[in-house]
Amino acid sequence: MLDAFSRAVVSADSKTAAIGGSELEALRGFISSGNRRLDAVNSIASNASCMVSDAVAGMICENQGLIQAGGNCYPNRRMAACLRDAEIVLRYVTYALLAGDASVLDDRCLNGLKETYTALGVPLQSSARAVAIMKAQATAHIQDNPSEALAGAKLRKMGTPVVEDRCASLVAEAGSYFDRVIGALS
Amino acid sequence: MKSVITTVVASADAAGRFPSSSDLESVQGSIQRSTARLEAAEKLAANLDAVAKEAYDACIKKYPYLNESGQANSNDTFKAKCHRDIKHYLRLVNYSLVVGGTGPLDEWGIAGQREVYRTLGLPTAPYVEALSFARNRGCTPRDMSAQALTEYNALLDYVINSLS
Repeated sequence: MLDAFSRAVVSADSKTAAIGGSELEALRGFISSGNRRLDAVNSIASNASCMVSDAVAGMICENQGLIQAGGNCYPNRRMAACLRDAEIVLRYVTYALLAGDASVLDDRCLNGLKETYTALGVPLQSSARAVAIMKAQATAHIQDNPSEALAGAKLRKMGTPVVEDRCASLVAEAGSYFDRVIGALS
Repeated sequence: MKSVITTVVASADAAGRFPSSSDLESVQGSIQRSTARLEAAEKLAANLDAVAKEAYDACIKKYPYLNESGQANSNDTFKAKCHRDIKHYLRLVNYSLVVGGTGPLDEWGIAGQREVYRTLGLPTAPYVEALSFARNRGCTPRDMSAQALTEYNALLDYVINSLS
């Protein structure tokens, strides 16, 4: 498992060069935006169970066949397995976001996932859809920019300090990890 | 590769939970301390060749027998190899400064070191002398800030201990 720092070390070692200049600048950027990253991780971790159940519910709403007899979320036992898997995926994405590197997600979650799902008969397209919903949720939580128009009476602010760009780079980074999961499933 | 972040992630994963607030706090602590480490890494990277050259010269001076035929300083091939080895250690110190732990030194420098030196019949005393020279040569604020120098010296001490 690597993080942003050890990733820099591994790539410098392959060139037998010391780490200086531009690589250090990138790491300084990681450090200076460190608190934002921790806030982003926290916003996902503390909303995780809500995100997972909403994503699975959304997936089922779009494809009711999943909860009818013979569907992959029927009976409860299989629905529970589905919720558990969605939580596992979200957890590894959170780890990757914390580390600033996708290796933990690749090694411990995505490696062999598609083969396992194919063997078990889990529909890949539905899984990917649930992950896509979690991506949208994570984007919303990291940006933390709710509006009256969209949220209405449910408007709730996390209270993190407002930054101009709404953590655009972290939103993009988290999105790339979700895209990695979707890519691994398709 | 071990670092504060990977350790936190590995233990959270072993427990199957999301990163908790205490996990995030320990990552934040390491991030706050990393400015000094990165400063040391930057200064070392910029002057790696000069530091290695001085350290090499110091150990040849202390052990004149290395100039004799068949010894480390007797011909250009041997010289280049010894010089490379010292640079190798300094590069690993640079990596360890970046990661914030001794992972790179442990995995790529120290593991198997004793066996290799014994098999090749290499003396470790000159390496100790070279690295000790580098250890005592660093000066604050000329070379780097006091905090950065502490981090740098601690890692050099770690290598020296592994060799002696």
